[in-house]
Order: sequence, then structure tokens, then C-alpha cells
Amino acid sequence: MPKRVLIVDDALFMRNTLRDIFSAAGFTVAGEADDGVQAVNLFRELKPDLVTMDIVMPYKSGIDATREIVQLDPNAVVVMCSALGQESLVMEAIEAGATDFIVKPFRGEDVLAVVKKVLGE
Amino acid sequence: MPSASHKYLTLFVAEASEHLATLQSELVRLEQEPPAAPLWDAIFRRMHSVKGSAATLGFSRIVDIAHAAENLIARLKGKEGKIERAEVDLLFAATDALVKEIVKLDKKEEDESTITLVDRLAKAAQALPDPALTAARPAPPPPVPPVADPSLPRLDVAVVLSKTCAAPGARAMIVQRKLKAMGTLLELEPTPAQLMQQKGGARITALLATLTATDEVREALVALPEVDHVEVRMAPAARPPEEGPPPPPVPVVSPPQAAMREKTPMPGRSLTPAPMEPGELRPEPTVRVRAEALDQLLDQAADVMHGIARLRDAAKRLPEPAAARLEAEIDRLRRTARELHGRVMSARLTPFSSLTERLPRAVRDLAHRLNKTIELDVQGADVELDRTVIEALGDPLSHLVRNAADHGLEDPETRKRAGKPGRGKLTLSARRERDKVFVEVQDDGRGMDAAALRRKAVKSAAMTKEAADALSDDAAYELAFLPGVSTRDDATEVSGRGVGLDAVQRKVESLGGKVSIRSTPGKGTTFVLELPLSLSMANLLLVQVGGEIYGVPLHRVLLTTDYDLSARGGEGFEARSLVVMGELVRAYGLAKLFGLPSLAPPGPRPFVVMEVDGLRFAISVDRLVGQEESVLKPLFPPLDRVRGLAGITVLGNGRPLLVLDPRGLAELCGIHDPLKPAPAAKGAA
Repeated sequence: MPKRVLIVDDALFMRNTLRDIFSAAGFTVAGEADDGVQAVNLFRELKPDLVTMDIVMPYKSGIDATREIVQLDPNAVVVMCSALGQESLVMEAIEAGATDFIVKPFRGEDVLAVVKKVLGE
Repeated sequence: MPSASHKYLTLFVAEASEHLATLQSELVRLEQEPPAAPLWDAIFRRMHSVKGSAATLGFSRIVDIAHAAENLIARLKGKEGKIERAEVDLLFAATDALVKEIVKLDKKEEDESTITLVDRLAKAAQALPDPALTAARPAPPPPVPPVADPSLPRLDVAVVLSKTCAAPGARAMIVQRKLKAMGTLLELEPTPAQLMQQKGGARITALLATLTATDEVREALVALPEVDHVEVRMAPAARPPEEGPPPPPVPVVSPPQAAMREKTPMPGRSLTPAPMEPGELRPEPTVRVRAEALDQLLDQAADVMHGIARLRDAAKRLPEPAAARLEAEIDRLRRTARELHGRVMSARLTPFSSLTERLPRAVRDLAHRLNKTIELDVQGADVELDRTVIEALGDPLSHLVRNAADHGLEDPETRKRAGKPGRGKLTLSARRERDKVFVEVQDDGRGMDAAALRRKAVKSAAMTKEAADALSDDAAYELAFLPGVSTRDDATEVSGRGVGLDAVQRKVESLGGKVSIRSTPGKGTTFVLELPLSLSMANLLLVQVGGEIYGVPLHRVLLTTDYDLSARGGEGFEARSLVVMGELVRAYGLAKLFGLPSLAPPGPRPFVVMEVDGLRFAISVDRLVGQEESVLKPLFPPLDRVRGLAGITVLGNGRPLLVLDPRGLAELCGIHDPLKPAPAAKGAA
């Protein structure tokens, strides 16, 4: 069964780019959220196998959203998508329970390499 | 590798442009109000979003600028005291440069000015403390020496991170967490914090007390992303457990708020959205729709209505019992179609703020150029108008603002001499009243000079001196809308000369609105734009003249009547009169007004009697064609310059139809000006 992914990013551009990467690799994009509040709600609803999480977003940051998602499901797989120069935020996200991270700019194969590893494939 | 052909390039450009436009007004707010954390966060977020997407596309210049600007923003947020003008200027420069970059993304060569700007941003940031180092650094692991069962085997672990690893500190943290999950981590060298901001290729060594087999530990670590090489072996000898005082109880402290995090309360457990602090309402979920798609939707909703109108006509020709039943169904369908149309209309509503967003920046620059200090106040930013109205209003509004800044407001010295504060005030407001939106541009400047306007109007031969002198001051202000009449002789760099208030008036009227002026000498001037909330369905009377069909808005039509004027004046009459409901009404020929040939034979002709501002007049046409309900759209250039036309619509058969503007027709006929004979037809349709 294809793995289901929830894409969280406030930029539609990034969401589309990630969606293409995942679709091409045989994942099912279960949902997309453009802020942290929506991310938590969609996670609860969709129970995806994987979440890609932007960090800097309106209403609720990716770090807070990750913390809540991990509280909901300690086994949740959340991969942070951060921009260069956000290392301290990524580290904070890891403390909050993020499984792993990717740093923008990323190529499709970089994303998939990380994702496949964290999913144990 | 800039991927100019990336399939989402246009999306990136759209999103980035939107962010940058909003950024500009947010930067202006930095100077106006003591900046609060949410404003800084919003500014940071926009810059950050542009950077992230640009990085994915490989636009390194955009990334460089946005990154440097972002760093400066992060430090300015942490700065105490006032923000320097130079710092805001620098952020403006960055925003401008980004806009420029985004406009011409395909330019290949490295731009010298980018390097300089990035340098300046970096210098400004360096002068300020780094909040990430002072406050927002992730809490280091509590300095509690780990204690492990001395009987457990010790493993020496070495992990080499891949050279391409962009965030070794974060990666080290993942390694650290993995190790902790397998046993007691006694040592880790270097620590994640030490690896922060370093390039990849780091080697991390660890001492782990665990029962887990070496192979298992190795496999777990190799499975991590960005780990190139792993060595795990039994440590030579178990070290004695660390002795020392028991660790002090560590108070549970949540990690410090990251610099750019917004304050958001924790959500409830329920499925309902988290409760929000007042003023921090989360909007309903939205999707982004191409504006064009909404336009098409509107056209199609209109098509459905036209189809229903044709069905109705067809139904009338059916034998009676069937006709009645069908008409009842059609009526039901029509109500639904109307509702659909209304919903599409409201989906097209756009907040006034989308128009005013760019103005604070424009006014700031204007004020600097004019050596004036101007405070811009925008009210009613959330009042919504139809997208078409918003788009068409952009130019007129910035014209009025420029005009007010340049001509309306005095320089600080003049103002002080007049007993006013040196800082001029410009207020832009939008408010809704039933199905109308009033947009006002108000300044507290010198006010308009009625006498000068009268002189100018006479000089430009727009009217006779007698007519001008007969005007009240209020009526004289309206002379400013005449082409070529301006209150000041000197054309300035800012407002220029040429495109005048007449263009503003034409644009507003083409939207079915009107514009008026209120002015008090020494106190200021207000331009009031009265606009339709949305482009509504208009009931049109279709008339034919010289082979062309025009629509006349039915709400302006008093009645239609047949009358034979040729007996009295023959062909080519300009202004005669006919008797309507016992009242003498001036009559004009539409063919003559528009310079069209009349195809009607001599004899009685249909007249459409209209009423504008209480004045009645009649227009002769060749034939009355019928009635149609239709969506009125504003005219596009150059048709929008034609007096007497209100808009355009598409008939059910797909043919475009020009819709007449009764007010414009009245002006064309000259019915408001009893002192002048009716003018000959101006611009031909």
C-alpha cells in the first residue's frame, strides 16, 4: 500500500513542488496544510504515515505543530523542511519530537532519501 | 542552477510578489508604531518564505538578499529602542531588489548591486546582537552527568556525517537521540551545539553504555539520513561510574520561544479548531483560485441566466397549460441561477486593503521627494469590493493620493504658519452603505481655490465667464474634473500634467460610480468615490440604431413612446421636445449623438425617456428590440473614454453589447447646461 503523506507549508509553491516529488515516487498525498493549526487538525483526521513540516508559518509554527502531533501520536513521523540558516529552529523541532529534517533547497532525491530512511524502507 | 523553466515558476512569482507587496506596507508600519512582536514575525515570515521557495528554484541572488535581510530582521526584532530610519531604508532596498529580481528572473549575470546590498545588510546585522545566540538558542541538555549501570558494556561509537549535510548540529542531535534510545549516552563529542552553523563532514564520537549488540547499534545509525560512515566497537574497559552530588531537581522549563514563533495557545483536544486569543482569529480555510477562473465562472453563470431567459421566451409560445407549468419550473431555475450568480459575485469580492497595501510605501517616498511629512491613515481596509472594481480603481486612487500629497498638502513651514501641525494628514477610507461602497481620499491641506478654478475653466474655453461666475463654490470645485483644468500652474514631477482628474472621473463612472469633491479653504479637500459594491445584474432595454444594438439600463428608463418629430424638424434634428406625461421633455437622436446613420424611415419613431438627477430627456432610436437581464462589465481602454457608454455585456447569442450610460448621455446632450446649446456629437462609438 502506498505511504500517505501530509504536506505542510505556507507557500503553495513549496507544497506543489513537494507534492510532485512524492507523487512521482509512488506516495499518496493524503492532504496539504498551509499553517500549523490546520496541520494538527489534518493530522488528527488523516493519520498519515509521514508529515513534511515547514517551520516558519502563520498562526502556529511548525515546531509547535510538531510538538502537538507527537503528543497525539508518539510514533508520528514528522520531517521538518527548513531553509538554510534555520539550524537552531530545526534543533528545537527535533527536541519537540521531529523525526528528521531536510534543508531547502532540496532536490527530489534528497527528500526521498531522507523519507525512505525514516520510514525504514 | 536557476530553473527558469520550473513548472511552478509563475506560482513562485505570484506568491513572492504578494509577500513583497505586503512587506512594503508592513515596513512602513515599523516607522509609524512602536513595532510589536507579531509585526516583526510577519515581516520575518514573508522574507523567509520568499527565501525558501527561491532556494528550491536555485535563484541564488534572491536567496542571498532574502537571507541577509532575514538576519537583519531577526536582530532588529531583538533590538531595544527605536528602529533607525537607515535600517528600515535598507530593508526597503532589499524588498525593492527582490521585486526587481523576481520581475526579471531570467537575467543570468551576477548583479554587482546585489553583492553590495547583501554586504550592507550583513554589516547592519552584525552591528546588532544575534537573538539566536542570546535568547532563542535551543536549551542545551541539562548539565547532569549521565549515570549508567557499571555492569553494562561500553561501546565506542564514531559517526561521520556526509559532507553535503547542511545542518550538522541538527543532524548530530538526531544521532544523539538515536544513541539515547539504545542505552545511556555517557559522552558525545562534539555536541550538537558545537556543530551548529558548521559545514558538513563532521565526525562525532560517543561513549554508550548499552546491552544492545554492536551490529545493531551500527545498523541503527547507518539507517539515519546523511550518515556516511559508522564505527562501533566495545570500549577497552568499562569506566567507573561518574561520582558526584545528585543532580539538582531541574525545573520543568519549556524551551524558550523561538524568535519568530507567534504566540498561539495550545489547542484543545477536540476536533474543533483551537481557541484563539482575541484579535488573532484564524480565518476560515481558503483556497487560492486563479482570478481568471472566477471571471470564467462569472461569465458562465451569466450564460446560464441568458439561457434561462431564452427558455422563457420559448415557453411563452407553447399552448397554455404546458406553458404555465414550464414557466413555473423556469422561474425556479432562474432563482437558483440568480443565487449562483450572487455567490460567484461574492467570491470575487476583494478587500480594499489589496488596493491600499502599496500606498504607505508610495506616500512615504512621495513625502521624502516633496520634503513634506505626511501621515497616511487607511480606514476600512477590510471593506470588500468586486475584483474588477478593485483592479480598475488602482490608478485613480493612486492619482488622487499623489494629487493630495503634491497639491493638497502644504509644506511643513506653510502649515505651521497657518497654525496647523507640520505633518500633513492623508486619510484613505472605505465604507459600505447598502449596495454602495464609498471610498474617500481626504487631506487636511490648503483646500481648493474656487476662483482659480473658475478662471481656468474660462481660459480653457470650457465655459463662458458668466456661466463660471454663476457657479457656487461647491459647483466650481467640480470644474477640476474638466480636461485641462488644474488648480496650479506648475506641472510637478510628482503629479505631472496631462492625466488629470477627468481621467479619474471617467474611470469611476465607467464602473457605474461617481466622484465628487468637498473642499474647505485652509481646511482640506475630500474626494468621494461612490462605487457599486459589485457588478450587478442589470435589466436592459435593447434598442437598435443604425444597425447596432445598445442596451439601456431599465432603472433609468421612465417610459418609451412613439413620436413623429420629422413633421416638425426633419432628419438630423438635435434637440426638439416632446410631451411626456404633460411635461415638455427635450429629445435627442441617439444616431446623431453617436454619429451613426439612422436607418429608420421618416415618420413616428420610438423614444426612450430617461431620468437622471430629476431631469428627464428622450432619446430617439430606430427600433426597440427587447429586454434582457445581463451582467454589466466595465469597459476596457480605449472604449472607456467614450462618453455615454457605461459598460459592456455579452448577449445570450454570444454577441457583445454596449450598454449606454444615461448620465453620460445627458451630459453629451448638454441637458445640465441651460446656457449652452446642445453640443454636436463628440467621440464616435
